[in-house]
Amino acid sequence: MSPTPSIDFTKLTLCDALDLATIIEEEAKERYEEFAHQMELHHNPDAAAFFLFMLKIEALHEGRIAGRRRELFGDAPRNVRRELIFDVEAPEYHEVRSTMTHREALETALRAEKKAYAFFDAAMKHVADAEVRSLFSELREDEIEHAGLVEKELAKLTPDSKIKAEDVEDEPIAH
Amino acid sequence: MDDLVIGMAGSGGDGIVSAGESLIAAAAYEGYHALMTKSFGSQVRGGESSCRVRLSTNRVENVGGALDVAVALNWEDFLKFGAELPVSGNTVVIYEAKTGVAPEAIPLVGVAPTEVFAVPIGDMAKQAAGSDKAKNTVVLGLIAGWFGIAREAILRGLRKKFIKKGEELVAANQRAFEMGEQFAREHPLKQPRMMKRPDEKAGKKLLTDGNDMCAAASIFAGCEFFGGYPITPSTEIMQFYTREVWKYGGAVLQAEDEIAGIGAALGASIAGKKAMTATSGPGLSLKTEIMGLASIAELPLVIVDVQRGGPSTGLPTKPEQSDLFAAAFSAHGDVLRPVLAPTSVADTFDVTVESFNIAEQYQTPVLLLSDQEIAQRKETVDPIDTSRFKIVDRRKPTATELSDYHRFRNTEDGVSPISHPGMPGGNYQGAGIEHNERGNPTASGRVHQAMSEKRFRKLAPLKRRTDLFKVEGNPDAALALVAWGSIAGVCREAFLRAKGDGLDVKLLVPWLLYPIAEEVYRDFFASVKAGFVVELAYQPQLYRILRMFVDVPAGIQPFNRSGANPIQPREVVAQLRNASLSLQQPAMPPSSEV
Amino acid sequence: MTTTPPILPTYQAKDFKSDLKPIWCPGCGDFGVVQGIYRALASVGRAPHDIAFISGIGCSSRIPGYTTAYGFNSVHGRALPIAQGIKLANPDLLVLVAGGDGDGFSIGGGHVPHAIRRTLDITYIVMDNQIYGLTKGQLSPTSKRGLKTVTSEYGSLEAPVNPLLYVLAYGANFVAQGTPADMAGLADVIEQAIRYPGFSFVNVQSPCVTFGMEGQQVKAHRATMKTLASINHDPANRLAAMDLAQQYGQSLHTGVFYKNPDPPPTLDGQVRERQRQLAEKAIPRERILDMFVQK
Repeated sequence: MSPTPSIDFTKLTLCDALDLATIIEEEAKERYEEFAHQMELHHNPDAAAFFLFMLKIEALHEGRIAGRRRELFGDAPRNVRRELIFDVEAPEYHEVRSTMTHREALETALRAEKKAYAFFDAAMKHVADAEVRSLFSELREDEIEHAGLVEKELAKLTPDSKIKAEDVEDEPIAH
Repeated sequence: MDDLVIGMAGSGGDGIVSAGESLIAAAAYEGYHALMTKSFGSQVRGGESSCRVRLSTNRVENVGGALDVAVALNWEDFLKFGAELPVSGNTVVIYEAKTGVAPEAIPLVGVAPTEVFAVPIGDMAKQAAGSDKAKNTVVLGLIAGWFGIAREAILRGLRKKFIKKGEELVAANQRAFEMGEQFAREHPLKQPRMMKRPDEKAGKKLLTDGNDMCAAASIFAGCEFFGGYPITPSTEIMQFYTREVWKYGGAVLQAEDEIAGIGAALGASIAGKKAMTATSGPGLSLKTEIMGLASIAELPLVIVDVQRGGPSTGLPTKPEQSDLFAAAFSAHGDVLRPVLAPTSVADTFDVTVESFNIAEQYQTPVLLLSDQEIAQRKETVDPIDTSRFKIVDRRKPTATELSDYHRFRNTEDGVSPISHPGMPGGNYQGAGIEHNERGNPTASGRVHQAMSEKRFRKLAPLKRRTDLFKVEGNPDAALALVAWGSIAGVCREAFLRAKGDGLDVKLLVPWLLYPIAEEVYRDFFASVKAGFVVELAYQPQLYRILRMFVDVPAGIQPFNRSGANPIQPREVVAQLRNASLSLQQPAMPPSSEV
Repeated sequence: MTTTPPILPTYQAKDFKSDLKPIWCPGCGDFGVVQGIYRALASVGRAPHDIAFISGIGCSSRIPGYTTAYGFNSVHGRALPIAQGIKLANPDLLVLVAGGDGDGFSIGGGHVPHAIRRTLDITYIVMDNQIYGLTKGQLSPTSKRGLKTVTSEYGSLEAPVNPLLYVLAYGANFVAQGTPADMAGLADVIEQAIRYPGFSFVNVQSPCVTFGMEGQQVKAHRATMKTLASINHDPANRLAAMDLAQQYGQSLHTGVFYKNPDPPPTLDGQVRERQRQLAEKAIPRERILDMFVQK
């Protein structure tokens, strides 16, 4: 058995789909939390604050989906687990840097939202169940909304300074 | 006679060491106290070889001084051993007549032994057994005949040794033996020297060497893993493990190098098993980094260093006491690592068990400092009552402690309960990096200070272990000897002889060499005006370390020289006598009265 | 799908994640490696307390601390001997070893052949970043010839070690390579390695974002990597594996290079067997000195 089994979208029920969406948000939320920690540890408060903001967005989203699942299916057992996915809406580990600017942090999140959009978009092609299709379509739109949110923030930012963090920071520490 | 020192030399093919083995085995069977050392040329096979066997009806703790009996199968080989086979005017010299040397022309400079026998040993062997390969058996017959030692036990031993090859060989050897005896009868000594029989109650003795004793003691102490790499003169410990440890559910790893050997042993300790490694000087240097790791990770581990002449390859087959500095101090960072040393094959048992107990009790590496002589000499040992030994196991966490487990909890005594992989709830991160009580890495100076203090504090009770020091003689004596390792046996005999000569002297023999138990030495030195710390090394290492920690009386001086230069009891007695005379000299009057 | 209650695995990836926050540089490849390990361990399903995870020294060797297993962050280059001692002392444990390319192919390189030939059932994961990160960017044994670093001001004059060929040449029975650019693939090879009965080796191309080369970052991996499955490599074919392994440093192949379909008996298994055979010959410990009595 592979530790990361592939998802058979053709067999997904609405309950499964809601669970899948929940874990996708959960993964994203946790990743932003990790990134926020990483940035705090490396003294990048702007990026840390932004990732904390994203954490809240994803948490809200996750809560909404999980609530709907409870409403519809109560505590019926979960068939999908975290091991089915890797980095669906979560930005990837390699995308961040300790010296990243606020803008770069936003761009990282934006790419992640677009990646999630692509995931649901691609998945819909395989989904048979009408309710699931409609859910995925809705989720896909959510990602557009989130992306829009980030883009709006991006627009507010002044362009990055020509002076890069790398130009001024102390040398890395040898251990 | 109640004490007999026999020295024999020949070429490897003569089987002279094998004769010594037969002799000491018979002696042990008869209940004699006995001790045997072997010495070889540097050839791996077929070089010159020699052995010294000392038999006594009393306890023997060293190989003795000048030989009572010298056996030379050829003179060239015999002479190569120089000071290891010292002949005096009182020595009975037996040599192969074929060497063509006349009894009055034997090549010994400065001595004229009174009894010298040219014996046609080779011819006798050929005649009796049809081969001069039985020369060593003829020698046994000569010794049994002249000195009355263990005839039946020797014959028993010969039978046991040769029966695998058939009755014919047993009979041939018996004939060779008897021919030797007969020669002795026909050529009596001018002054008969028959050995006293051992006490009827003496009973059979154990017979083994320091390395096997150390290995057996470690298994008794509960050791289940050995990791090591072959190095003379420690390898027999690993060899013992490869034969025995499986039987006790344990394992042994002959590693790819010294570092991997101690690494694997440390791994076994992490896994919750008692573990050890053994090496000699150069290997000790290689193992030092992981010894530091064991200290900071607070893991029990016993490291045996069988000292040999150094530095580097040095004199790999000769004893020396020159690794004490390395044992005590070769560490990076602030480390306190207990060092213990046995003084004989017999107390190698006690000291090995203690080493494991201390390692387990305090979760620390312990260095067991043996030396080539103890490790490789054969010695009779009185049966040991193992029930008088307590076995200590590391402190496991209780269920309550596991509920909020801190692997390195800074307890009152500094010892933290230790879990091991496989124990639910005890999961922790061990590390060479400084860590807090949970085991998480830190670079905090405050934590580093606290943890260093903890690691030193937990070992403090060791210094109060007066049972790890053997003190003999009048506690108020002004004259004293301090000795450790194999030289302690020499000094004990010197001490007894000096006392017999009327000197008021006392002796301190530490098993625990480091940390220095300041109070033990302070008490011992309180009455002392003169004396010696006796060591077989160019630098008097214990003497120097003592001076770091203790106010050593000015009259206490080192008496030491490089390894492979055996110190004899009579030399130590002479030193004591001189020191005693200096004490008796009237004090210089104050200058104003001059 | 919802009609039959699913069999939930005993452990989930998060059960292997400790509370300790990694101090790695943001963007470091090792973040992916530890995720892969969590997932592989969840799939294997052993309890964290039955796992001993040993590492050497280097950024990557911090990894045991980020898991809930029994961890041991030892000294430079010696993780393998320590791990072997653990496995021999308690063969029931799942033993993982991890470290960097310096640990495995420089200071500790001499231990690798012996770990291989002993066929103890342990898994060795090397996070290969071709640089010394913890000490600030010196040459590593896998650095490319010509690489300019603080210890090769004018470019390295030495050829790199080829970790894959190295272990294959010494007879490793399981050899794989992964990259955090393919997380599912990485978790998969780690799991296969853990499940393999015997010594298994996984080389992970785990980029250093601070001192590593631009061409060796995750993005570059993604652009160039090729799975061995996609080129129809047969992992039972050792010679083909060696052929492909020669391309280390030029092309990035991921997946299983070699998996001996007929694994030789493990050392730990044989040790157990020997212990079982000889147990009855033991003199009780308290009477062990009887062996020295002259009979």
